[in-house]
Amino acid sequence: MDPIRYGGGHDVAWPSLLWHKDCGYPGDMFEGTEDGSPEEIELRIAAVLTNLPIIRSLAASIAMRADFDLDSIADLRLAVDEACSTLITQGAPNSTLRCNFLVSPDEIRFVVTVPSTSDTKPSSDSFGWRVLTTLTDHTATWVDGPDDAESPHLVHIELAKRRVEGLPG
Amino acid sequence: MTGTQSSRARDQERSNTGYEHLTPLFVEMAELADDEPRRAELRNKLVTGHLPLAEHIAARFSNRGVPREDLVQVATLGLINAVDRFQPERGTDFLSFAVPTVMGEVRRHFRDASWAMHVPRRLKELNLAINAASAELSQRLGRAPTPSELGKHLDLSPEQVYEGLEAGNAYHSMSLDEALSPDSDSDPLGDTLGRKDEALDGVENYESLRPLIESLPERERQILTLRFFRHMTQTQIADRIGISQMHVSRLLTRTLEQLRQGLLSDPEA
Repeated sequence: MDPIRYGGGHDVAWPSLLWHKDCGYPGDMFEGTEDGSPEEIELRIAAVLTNLPIIRSLAASIAMRADFDLDSIADLRLAVDEACSTLITQGAPNSTLRCNFLVSPDEIRFVVTVPSTSDTKPSSDSFGWRVLTTLTDHTATWVDGPDDAESPHLVHIELAKRRVEGLPG
Repeated sequence: MTGTQSSRARDQERSNTGYEHLTPLFVEMAELADDEPRRAELRNKLVTGHLPLAEHIAARFSNRGVPREDLVQVATLGLINAVDRFQPERGTDFLSFAVPTVMGEVRRHFRDASWAMHVPRRLKELNLAINAASAELSQRLGRAPTPSELGKHLDLSPEQVYEGLEAGNAYHSMSLDEALSPDSDSDPLGDTLGRKDEALDGVENYESLRPLIESLPERERQILTLRFFRHMTQTQIADRIGISQMHVSRLLTRTLEQLRQGLLSDPEA
């Protein structure tokens, strides 16, 4: 299996989130950086279905540490799983999946991208899309055309899960 | 598996106990075109008729830390594969083809899930405590609790709660739920079915999806329907069916995986 690379979008790599300095104290949950801007976590991983458990665990871990309720954590986990498996199926062979989580106090936004030889968007009439829209508050998909003839298309799916109203924190 | 058990499997094939009446159906099915409605009917009959075989094989593997009902499901899946792949014109009988296929499926399940059986006792207990607290808090709050609410309730640190929740995400701990869930597992399906087809209208691969959904075990199908067509939350579903939210979550993950695989392997989709 290809090596898994972790990279930070800001200058924050995800391990610093998972072992956030405040996590040992009740009430101090992770929900963004200290200046209030969203915290970004990026995972680059080989676009193969056997990697799905890693991606969904990361999704669940992020939502859990952001103190989302258990239903929302489970929903995000399923939705990320669904979105990634859709793109993995569509991706060019041997490609890398880029998963981007943006954590702000009121929502977690997830964008997943795969290079593809085709410019077809995932169908919004599919059962998989129904799954995504049921599980999240926002779903979108789009394709970026290649910059030149050599490059692949980039297919994206974006999801957002909002924090349930009335939760503490 | 020991030699005695597999030789018993062979005995069973020879002194066949009551599957003979199904044999002609295979021949009939093999002659039908793929899109013939009668074919689906025969396939259903064959799968249902051979279910005792799957249950029998599952029973042999029980008491090894994987819940019996999971094994039955896996074995049934193996049985469906066997029915689909069996070629009567080859001259072998179905059972000698199906038994190794179904056993292979169950063994693969053990292999895939085995890492998970070594979850430390402490984490299992933590997970059980979190499950119980989560059910109690859901009642009180009218929604699923957050990790910090669970921590407060159980007097645990966030890290401990995370650990317990993560232990629950591991597939194996189905067996934990076995201890929690009552035997009777659900209210009658009647009111969740029937409307399913209507709800599926407009989904583009409906034709390939429907048989996949219909071949799901009853409870999985019910959970799928309640979540995606009735828009109930996992906590509400858990409450209704009488299992934990984590169990619902795991069943949904697995069900969606199965549907995706089924759609991918269907050339029509």
